[in-house]
Amino acid sequence: MKDVKRIPIRTKVHNFFVYFRQHPWLYIMLIPGLFFLCVYKFWPLYGIKMAFQDYNIFLGSNPMEAIALSPWVGLKHFRKLFASSNFLRVLSNTLIINGMKIVILFPIPIIVAILLNEIRRRNARKLLQTSIYIPYFFSWVVVFGIFYSLLGTYGIVNGLLSGLGIERVRFFTDQKIFRWLLVFTEGWKEVGYNAVIYLAAITGIDVGLYEAAKIDGANKWRLTWHITLPGILPTIVLMLILKVGYILDTGFEQVLVFYNAAVYDVADIIQTYVYRLSMGKMDFSMSTALGLFNSVVAFVLIIGANTVSKRLLNRSIW
Amino acid sequence: MKKNQYAILQDTSEKVSHAIAVVVLVLLALMAILPCLHVISKSISHGTRVTAGEVLFWPVGVQFETIDYVLNKTAFWNSLKNSLIVTSLGTVIAMFTTITTAYPLSKPSFKGRKLFTLLYVISMVFFGGIVPAYMVVRTIGILDTYWACILPFAIVQFNMFIVKNYFEGLPESVEESAMIDGAGDVRTLWSIVVPMSMPVIATVSLLYAITYWNNYFHAMMYTNSSDMRTIQLYLYDIINNGQAFAENLYSGWNTGGAAISANVTTEGMVAAAVTMSMVPIVAFYPFVQRFMIQGITVGSVKG
Repeated sequence: MKDVKRIPIRTKVHNFFVYFRQHPWLYIMLIPGLFFLCVYKFWPLYGIKMAFQDYNIFLGSNPMEAIALSPWVGLKHFRKLFASSNFLRVLSNTLIINGMKIVILFPIPIIVAILLNEIRRRNARKLLQTSIYIPYFFSWVVVFGIFYSLLGTYGIVNGLLSGLGIERVRFFTDQKIFRWLLVFTEGWKEVGYNAVIYLAAITGIDVGLYEAAKIDGANKWRLTWHITLPGILPTIVLMLILKVGYILDTGFEQVLVFYNAAVYDVADIIQTYVYRLSMGKMDFSMSTALGLFNSVVAFVLIIGANTVSKRLLNRSIW
Repeated sequence: MKKNQYAILQDTSEKVSHAIAVVVLVLLALMAILPCLHVISKSISHGTRVTAGEVLFWPVGVQFETIDYVLNKTAFWNSLKNSLIVTSLGTVIAMFTTITTAYPLSKPSFKGRKLFTLLYVISMVFFGGIVPAYMVVRTIGILDTYWACILPFAIVQFNMFIVKNYFEGLPESVEESAMIDGAGDVRTLWSIVVPMSMPVIATVSLLYAITYWNNYFHAMMYTNSSDMRTIQLYLYDIINNGQAFAENLYSGWNTGGAAISANVTTEGMVAAAVTMSMVPIVAFYPFVQRFMIQGITVGSVKG
């Protein structure tokens, strides 16, 4: 600190212009990216005003101009929102569904990666890895189609059940089952992908550690417990931090595709509710308010996750 | 003697753990593959066999009428065309912006590097919300066009950071010698840096292509005419209609998969549409999965 000389601001500006004249194209190159960033990420920030207005989309000549012209109402929409039972419902659904996913699904890819690492023959390992990993490439709509074929009223599972004389199960409309369907399909789609991440971490472990432990007479279980798991612990911690940090931001498209009116009570998450409030009921101010609540809490969580990651792992998550 | 015992012990523990690994992994692989086989089988099986639940993982009473119906009597080709346009145009644009942004930001000497990087980090952690974004798309007049589907992913910050990190890892000496030879920044990027970065470029292109191809929400939010529907919207409609019939969701219908003809039932149609939408992904998969695994490794080294 003490050795660093403070550079006068004028020298800094001067240095910048010298650099700019030497490398003008580096700045020109930034323009396309900044253009899209401003249009789609920064300009919408101005739209947050809608949450504090009685927004009327028909004022002015376009929807953004309408934001400038709509009347201010202060915190009206937030008061209404926090008092409504819908708010509590969608917030708890979001936390419950994503919480279930973390608790149940988080350990599985770690185990799968360790098992994949046990397979010595390269071709067999490749084949297994490739098969487990393929659902990751399907869209949620395709996954929905596949599971509809399996679990729908006339799907294969209900066919087997009725063959055994058991009543058909309504997987897509039963409120007791629907969340488990979300957890299961999430696992089906994502486990392979996450396993590959852990497998990459396992491959990075020093082989010498295993050799040394083997000479000391350690068996497979001990090798896994004392070398593999500690070796990938940073990756595990990072993945957990990311999962918790993004708890409000995940699962939107999945729920949007899978749910239906019969399961709104248990499946409606913040973002699906924002979507129906805005596009369905045209209540743009209220939906912006709820979206803003979501963004602010998500922001705090992600910054928190990053702080934890920096403390524990000495690395930033971006 | 003792040493030998240990060797045997180790050998058995190795064998047992290997056997467990094989069994569990084969089961998982089957769980991933069999549902796909089931849907494909259903799409080419006889309609009454499908409704009766006789089709498992192999077609029964093979017919191609359902596939033919889906291809020629529904909006399949049009939505496929829309998805192909959005995906190819979107990927090209996104890769262009990603590379041209990542390159300046990857240079340690670049003045303003911190400020511009911060802009991308801010936009990554704070989101204005879907309603304001919709208002912007509507204001600039691209609602119901391909551009509305392309804009949201025209630069994905996370992908940009992957490319930037890769550029940072390249040996500086190569670039320096290019500079000494009189090549400007554009020439250096285009003829030195890009050719050296083909692995990461392939991976990130693939990430963009998958994002565009699989996207459902933005296509639904930003398009409304039937001409503009992408493959995901088209497929969702077919499944949803099939489900509405079968699950008795919206009205009094409960026909057990309404039959269009003897062979073509809604159940079969759903399966055929899913199959046809899976085909492009499965066809490309063997060629691209190498890049994906590379990408995960690159991304997880420093994301």
